[in-house]
Amino acid sequence: MTDIDVRKVVQEELNNIAPEADLASIDPGADLREALDIDSMDFLNFVTAIHHRLGVDIPELDYPKLVTLDGAIAYLTAKLGANRRS
Amino acid sequence: MARSKREIPHYYLEHQVDVTACEQWLARTNATRAPDNRLLIGALAIRSVALAARRFPAFNGFCRDGKFEPAAAVHVGVAIAIRGGGLAAPALHHADQLPLDQLMTGMRDLVQRMRSGRIRSSEISDPTITVSSLGERGVEALYGIIYPPQVAIVGFGKVVTRPWVVDGAIGPRSVVTITLSADHRVSDGHAGALFLAEIGKQLQEPDKP
Repeated sequence: MTDIDVRKVVQEELNNIAPEADLASIDPGADLREALDIDSMDFLNFVTAIHHRLGVDIPELDYPKLVTLDGAIAYLTAKLGANRRS
Repeated sequence: MARSKREIPHYYLEHQVDVTACEQWLARTNATRAPDNRLLIGALAIRSVALAARRFPAFNGFCRDGKFEPAAAVHVGVAIAIRGGGLAAPALHHADQLPLDQLMTGMRDLVQRMRSGRIRSSEISDPTITVSSLGERGVEALYGIIYPPQVAIVGFGKVVTRPWVVDGAIGPRSVVTITLSADHRVSDGHAGALFLAEIGKQLQEPDKP
């Protein structure tokens, strides 16, 4: 899976949680919780959905790495790469 | 809301609770779980209120025409923000009887159905007490307005790190402010203080059955 596919998955799942948001207009470095007004339950649902779609393990300790769009894509891409190598 | 403030003589109390151990317990528990089965501190908050409400019936029930009717069951209304504005608080039925995992599943289900507009009207009218929790991005304390004909609403602010005295030494601890807004026709500040203290105690003992 390429970086672009990961981006697509992340955007689709964010869109499921915040359907009214225009993801294209969001600063990729901004805190998603504030930019999209998502709470801890929304965030857990986002992590759950990503876990199912990409098959990556996302421990709670890594949540801070997922709070921006760019951060989430970089983190998940790296995780997928590590899965493939192992 | 306007009717609530006009007709119900609200009184307000607050209580700060050290939830460091509670957070550590959550982190340990969630570390070995897939996201589907992880718990949020919000579930612990609801559980603590449900268990306390069972012990303090003056906060669990309805006041109609100035007469209080304690409820036989504990159905906790969970305040959920509706995307795009608005708030609703559907019931998590028999929240005091639910094991924590089931309570969490029920809470997730309520939020999901609320967001997708699939809440039954009975669920909106069922709660016997309400919990409003601001989560991680809010402010430190919120004082709720009682949903008539209920007689109490418990608020949880966001968890903050504060200097705190433990065993005679000051150190950083995770602290949450729990508030109670209650109907003065039914209970008073003394009973309210005991009720809040019991909620705090329950919150600090998440693994106690």
